[in-house]
Amino acid sequence: MPEAPITPAAVIELLTAEHILEPQEALTPDTDLFSMGLDSMAMMQLLLLIEERFHLSINPAEMTRERFATAAALAGFLGEKRRLAA
Amino acid sequence: MSILPASTVDFFLAGLEAFMRRSGQGTHWGVTVLRLGGRPDARALAQAWEEIHARHPMLGARLKRQWRGWRWVWETPGPIAAPPICWHPAQPLPPDEAVIHERLQGRSSAGELTTPLWMEVFPWGGEGAHVILLTWRHALLDGTGVNLLLEKLAAGTCGEGPPAQPLPRRESMAQVYKRAKPLTDRLHAMTSAGCLSAWVKGMPIGGRPEHRLIELSAEESGRAVSRLRKLCGDFMQMPFYAAIAARALRLLHEQRGWKSPEIHLHLPIQIRGRSRELIFGNHMGAMPLFLEAESLGSLEQAVEHVLEKYREAMKEGMPKASDALTTLASHLPLGAFIPVVRWTNMGQICSLFHSHTGSFLPGCTAFAGAKIHNIFTIPSVCTPPGLGIFISDYAGRITVTLAWRGEGVSPAEVAAMERRILTDLTGDAEGRAE
Repeated sequence: MPEAPITPAAVIELLTAEHILEPQEALTPDTDLFSMGLDSMAMMQLLLLIEERFHLSINPAEMTRERFATAAALAGFLGEKRRLAA
Repeated sequence: MSILPASTVDFFLAGLEAFMRRSGQGTHWGVTVLRLGGRPDARALAQAWEEIHARHPMLGARLKRQWRGWRWVWETPGPIAAPPICWHPAQPLPPDEAVIHERLQGRSSAGELTTPLWMEVFPWGGEGAHVILLTWRHALLDGTGVNLLLEKLAAGTCGEGPPAQPLPRRESMAQVYKRAKPLTDRLHAMTSAGCLSAWVKGMPIGGRPEHRLIELSAEESGRAVSRLRKLCGDFMQMPFYAAIAARALRLLHEQRGWKSPEIHLHLPIQIRGRSRELIFGNHMGAMPLFLEAESLGSLEQAVEHVLEKYREAMKEGMPKASDALTTLASHLPLGAFIPVVRWTNMGQICSLFHSHTGSFLPGCTAFAGAKIHNIFTIPSVCTPPGLGIFISDYAGRITVTLAWRGEGVSPAEVAAMERRILTDLTGDAEGRAE
């Protein structure tokens, strides 16, 4: 089965379709996710969804503010992890 | 008179309060403490306070069963008058434990509290320091609600007030039972295996609400935050604090010579999609985790175990099961509600609260114009479970509250748990120098 592509759009789709974030306006790749309500409990759910959707295991200690600040930053981090795992 | 929808957590807390009253444990109050470095603006504070009371009829609400549909709803009589903010005369010291105890029992210096919110300002010391005590009734407000309320008070305005909410969709009892089943099965298995909280049958129920406050210094908080980041990254406070709470309870079991194969920990989960204007009514669901006592040996092991159990619980649909179980219980009369919940787990839960945004008033340095030094909450707990472990965080400053009732936990046990919690938080094996 082909792996789901990791793009900012795929990250935005994951965040909204799974109700991790419920923004009033559409998210862009550069929207600040924390100002949209990404909190501790949402991060725990997001961790699981990333594992399921992108088949990537993330150590909680890797979940830094820079990596999760925007959809673009998160897609970049996840893409790099997949590349290293390949 | 208008009708507002009630969530399953609203039923649960109303049922809990009914049980507390019947067993002589009074009303379920919490106190939030704001330590300020200057004098708050009395006019701005009073204006926001009055606006909140005028625009949130939930402050006068009563949980009521509707005959039609046998559904619980909030019946609101309309806006209620704001009780005056009580400004105390200047004192050499901040309000002491006796004042907090009095508030946790629903009393102020003027007598019994008759409103669900009560605010007092205590000027103290010679340099303009002030403490604000906000006493709130848990049946109407939870940790997230307190934070939303503080946001409005800090801003000096209440905004537009709450939006209209639709009544929740009804499901058939068979569907609800099916959703609840994974949790009821798990709770029965846990009860059969003899899992314990801080209370067992035969111990007293009730007594006055007691607490121990552990305020970490800025330096200790800094060490705790760097330890948290090392284990859990920048955000995952919940598994870190949950592991610490579970290890403290395990220590209590060891000291009492109790064997409990598992610890039932309830993680609070914020209900998504709720407007930030809905301050009152409860914002939390519960995520039950069943932690194996043997996997809590070290903090690192415990954090990993909490995450593993969290994954497992999510896959088993535990948050939905928890909501469904409370929905099932809400079909019962209020008086029969908690006995049924207790029948499923004998009250054997480990209660943990954490301010869910990760912090009170994130990014806010002033409250009604006064510099904020620290914010934390001291809730009262019910017996059973007999012990609550609460972690508050303001701008990286951590405060832990242990709460229990009467003689339910001994001073030596409290001291041992405090040492364990401090060691886990700061990594300092010696604990804190007296």
